[in-house]
Amino acid sequence: MRMNETEKELVAMVLSGRTEAFEPLVRPYRGPLLALACRLTRNREEALEVTQEALLRAFRSLARYDVSRSFKNWLFQIAANEARDRTRKRTREKAAFDDAVHGASAAADPEAGRERQELRSDIMRCLAVLSPREREVFVLRDLEELDIKETARALRCSSVSVRVNLSSARRKLRQAIRDNFPHLEEGR
Amino acid sequence: MTCRRVHSLIPLYAGDDLRPRLAWAVRAHVDACPGCREELEGFRAAMAGVKTAAKAEGVPDWNEGKWNAVMARVAAEARGAGSVPGSVGMRVFRPRWAAATALGAVLGLVVLSLLFRGPAPQPERAPAGSGMVIASGDSRQDKIAITMISPDSGLQVVWFLDKNFDYEGEQE
Repeated sequence: MRMNETEKELVAMVLSGRTEAFEPLVRPYRGPLLALACRLTRNREEALEVTQEALLRAFRSLARYDVSRSFKNWLFQIAANEARDRTRKRTREKAAFDDAVHGASAAADPEAGRERQELRSDIMRCLAVLSPREREVFVLRDLEELDIKETARALRCSSVSVRVNLSSARRKLRQAIRDNFPHLEEGR
Repeated sequence: MTCRRVHSLIPLYAGDDLRPRLAWAVRAHVDACPGCREELEGFRAAMAGVKTAAKAEGVPDWNEGKWNAVMARVAAEARGAGSVPGSVGMRVFRPRWAAATALGAVLGLVVLSLLFRGPAPQPERAPAGSGMVIASGDSRQDKIAITMISPDSGLQVVWFLDKNFDYEGEQE
């Protein structure tokens, strides 16, 4: 999906200094962006932070946006990168914390608060069985319906890598649905 | 194509993500193999179920206050950086090599300026016979005075130049 004319005009307006045009430019995607961030982080508060930062990053780098691309996919790419950065940072912090306390009381675990905020829908539980990369690929390709090429571009990896992770993700999800969520299977 | 090979390709085939030639081979096998067809249907049902559940879950929306706060941050950032995204002063992502290049250029300029600075200015004596003494001042000062003395008449002329070597006047 290419960028439509209205979006092109709004981008041109923002780039010419009329920053008030940024809000109508991104407003149609505020829900989808938040949904994407929720599925990638599985945490609503973190998803809000990811989306806010993604929007700021989008504004800062609008001058480098390639207008031949879909604006939505470009925003998704920024949000996916931001979510990945945060996930990595959290993983590092958790590892450092674990190293520091050597398995001290779980009550002090910074992850504990996060777990309490985690989204608990069936979809979120299904996505929990996937690795971060598999989750990114599955969410972008199957839930957000980007094609393989756009998914690869958004995640800055090859189409082969997308296919490998997608295949693995679908296989794991199929197993998880069969074992734990049989009510999700349609028509069976 | 064997059933084992088809099973390995079914996750991608179920979502129309195989290349056409492979997809054609899988289709031909599945049409003729009840076991693989059942496996494919299982995958398709699972994928459709996940998609339906994701749509039913609904799209979360923003609290208007938070949305307005983000847009206010954008506006504030624009005001602080001359309003155009990507303009000088904005926090735009730059490749690391750009920073390294800039640092290298600065270091290069420093080295070049040290190499070509030359000796400190000294009063020079004109070639023998011309009878002129050129007294130049410190290059760091704002005014430069050049004194020329005629050995025949003893006449002295002082030229005053500013730091850009623009002529300011003379005195005999």
